[in-house]
Amino acid sequence: MSLEIDHVTKRFAATTALDGLTFTVPQGEVFGFLGANGAGKTTTMRICLGIIRADGGEIRWDGRPTADLPRGTWGYLPEERGLYPRMGVLDQLVYFGSLYGLAPDRARRDAIGWLERFRIPELAGRRAEELSKGNQQKVQFIAAVLHDPAVLLMDEPFTGLDPVNLILLRGAFMELRDRGRTLIFSTHQMEVAEAMCESVAIVDHGRLVAGGLVRDLKRASGRRTLRLAASGDLAPSWLSELPGVESVRQDAGGAELELLPEADPAVILAAVVAHGVMVTRFEVAEPSLEAIFIEHVGRSADDDTTLAPRAAAAPLSAGTAA
Amino acid sequence: MAGRDPLLPNAGIVARREYRDRTRSPLFLAATFVLAVLAMLAALAPIGMRSLDRQTVTRIAVVSGDAALAQRAVGLVDSVLNVPPNGVADPGWKPPYSVEIATDAARADAQLASSRLAGILHLERLATGQLDVSFRTFEGPASARSQLLSLAAFGIGVIDWSARLPPSDARTQFLVPTYRVDTVNLATDAGKALSPLQATSRAFLAIVFVVLLLISIVIYGMWVASGVAAEKSSRVMELMISAASPRQMLAGKVVGIGAAGLTQYLAIAAPALVLLGFQDRIATAVLGPDWAAGSQFVGLTPQLLFGYGVFFLLGFALFALIYAAMGSFVSRPDDLQTLSLPLSLVAMVGYLTAIVAIGGGGGAWVTFASFVPPFSPFVMLARIMVSAVQPWEVVLSVVLLVAGIALVAVAATRMYAAGVLLYGQRPGIRAFVAAARRV
Repeated sequence: MSLEIDHVTKRFAATTALDGLTFTVPQGEVFGFLGANGAGKTTTMRICLGIIRADGGEIRWDGRPTADLPRGTWGYLPEERGLYPRMGVLDQLVYFGSLYGLAPDRARRDAIGWLERFRIPELAGRRAEELSKGNQQKVQFIAAVLHDPAVLLMDEPFTGLDPVNLILLRGAFMELRDRGRTLIFSTHQMEVAEAMCESVAIVDHGRLVAGGLVRDLKRASGRRTLRLAASGDLAPSWLSELPGVESVRQDAGGAELELLPEADPAVILAAVVAHGVMVTRFEVAEPSLEAIFIEHVGRSADDDTTLAPRAAAAPLSAGTAA
Repeated sequence: MAGRDPLLPNAGIVARREYRDRTRSPLFLAATFVLAVLAMLAALAPIGMRSLDRQTVTRIAVVSGDAALAQRAVGLVDSVLNVPPNGVADPGWKPPYSVEIATDAARADAQLASSRLAGILHLERLATGQLDVSFRTFEGPASARSQLLSLAAFGIGVIDWSARLPPSDARTQFLVPTYRVDTVNLATDAGKALSPLQATSRAFLAIVFVVLLLISIVIYGMWVASGVAAEKSSRVMELMISAASPRQMLAGKVVGIGAAGLTQYLAIAAPALVLLGFQDRIATAVLGPDWAAGSQFVGLTPQLLFGYGVFFLLGFALFALIYAAMGSFVSRPDDLQTLSLPLSLVAMVGYLTAIVAIGGGGGAWVTFASFVPPFSPFVMLARIMVSAVQPWEVVLSVVLLVAGIALVAVAATRMYAAGVLLYGQRPGIRAFVAAARRV
C-alpha cells in the first residue's frame, strides 16, 4: 500500500506548477515533502484532496485513483491556519469530525481525548479567538486527525510552535505512524525533516529533483560535513580557501564546513593546525539534509532567491521516491 | 472527489451550523422584532385607512343639464348617504359625504380621475320623461355605496315625477329610472371588484411586501457572501475545502441561511396572521359596528403571505447563490461591498419595476419582467397583489425561476470552488473566469 504521485502535471495560465511530478510514499511512513516557496507542494496536496484537478497524470492510494476514494481517507492541515473565531473549540472539532463522517458523540469523545493529549482540555469550551496561536495550531491539527485518516497531509505543521509544543506534535506524529498511518508534511525546517522522516521528496519548479530514503540521499551525495571547534581564529574567510571546502557556516560552537566529494579531511586538519589554531573538535559527518537540498535546488528552502544554477532536474524514477 | 460527493449529510451539517450561527446572534433577534412590529402595522393598515376614511368627507358630484333636477338629486342623495348612527344626529356627528352639483362635467371627470371625487352621478331626462341615472366610480356595482345610490336614483325619479306633475288632474305615467354603474380603473381580487379603499390598502401592502422582499434578499444574500468571505479571511476555508465539497458547502450555506431567513419570516408573519384572525373584532373595537360591519378587509391575506413566502424563498435562493460565488472571490469582507454592488443594483431594478407595477404602469416591460429571473420574484409578487393575474402566469413565472436557480447553481458552484482558493487577488470578471477554468 502506498501513495503514488504519477507524472502529475498542473498549469495555472502561463505558470507550470507541476511538471510531471513523480514519487511514491510508502504506507506507515513519516514523509518529508521539501521545496522552496512555489515549488508545487501545496498544489500537489490540493490535487490529492480533490480540491483542484490535475491537467495530466494521476495520484493513487492503494492503487485506487484519488477520485475513487472517500473524503475521509485524507486529513489535511493547511499552511494557512484558521478556525471559526466565535465558535467553541469542542463545537468546531465535532463539526469537522461530523463532516468527515464521525458520529457527533464519537467526535466529541475523541476530540476531548486529543485535547487532553495536547494538554489543553480546559480550552474545550473556549472560543477559538480566545486561544493563543500555538493552541489554535494544535486544535487545527486535531481537526485534521480526528477522523483517523489513512493519509495525513500537512503543510508546514511545525511553523510557529514553541519547543514544548513541537515535542508534543512530534510525539503525535510518531504515534500515528506506529498505528500505520501515513504522514506527509512539507517544511522549511530541514533539521525537523531530518529528525523525523525516513524518506523525503525534494521538489523544485514542479519537478522532483531528489528523493528516496534520507540515508540513501546522503550516501549518494558523496559530500561530507566537517564540524570543527577550536580555540583561535575560525573565520570563514580563510577556512573557505582550504582545499576541498565548498562552504563554511560559522556558529557559536565553531564552524561547519561542507566538503566537496574529493576533499581529504586529513589535509584540511593539517592546514588548520598549521594556521596556529588549537583544535578541540574534529568530526566528519554525513551531509545535512539542508546541504543536500541546497545541492539539488541551488538555494536553501527559506531563500526565495536562486544562489546557484539550478541542479539537474531530470525526474527521478527509482527508489522510494520514484 | 468533489463532483461525486453526495449533498447529504455534509450539506445538512453545514446548514445546521450556519442556521445556529445566525439565529443565535443578538442582531438577528433585534431585526426580527422590528420587522414583526412592521408586519403587524401592515396587517392593521386597512383598519387604519378605514379609520382615517371615517374622519374624512367623501365627495360625490351630481351632473345634469337640468339645474332643478340636479338640486333635487343633491338633497335626496344627501339624505340617503348621510344617515347618522342610530338615526340620531349628535352635535359632534359629521356627515361623511358631501354631495354637490358639478356644472362642468369635464372638470368633474378630472377630479374623479385624481380621486378628489369618489363618484359622479349623471342624470339625464329622456324624451319619454324617464330618468337615466349613471354612477361613475372606482367601485363595482355591488358596493354598498353603488347599491345605496340605486335607491337614491329611484327616489330622485319619484320626486322629479311628482315635481313635474301638471296642475290639472291629468296624470302622466311614472317610469322607473334606469340606473347603472360605470366603473373606471377597477382593481380586482380574483375577479371580484375592490373598493378604492381596498385597492389602496392592497397597493400599500404590495409596496411593504416588495420592500421587505428587497431588504430580505439583499440582507440575507449579504449574510451568505459575508459568511463565505469571513471563512476565507479567517482561513478556516482551508480546513473546510478538504472536509466538504464546494457543492456541499454552497448548498449548506444557502439552505442554512435561507432557513434562518425563513425563521425570521415566520416570526414576522405569525403575529400578523394572528391579527388578521381577529381583524373583525379589532375593526369593531376601533371603528365601531357601523363602519366595521360588512366591510371587507383585503389587505394581508394568508394567500398573499404564502405567495410572499414562495417568492422570498425562490428569490433568495437565486440571489444567495450568486452572492456566495461573489463572497468566495474576496479575501477581505471589506471588498464585499464593492463587489456586491452590481448584484444589489439588479435587485433594485426588480424592485423599481415592481413599484411601477403597483402604480399600474410599466405595460409590456412589467409583464415581461414578471416572468424573467432575477426580476420575477419582485414583479410577479407585485402583480399578484394589485391586479388580476392568471394562474398559468404565476406557474410559468415560478417554473422559469426554478430553472434559473438550477442554472445559476451550476455556475455558482464552479465559481465558488475556484474563488475559495484565491487569495490576495483583486476580484474581477477576469479573475472569475480564469479561476473557474482552473478547477
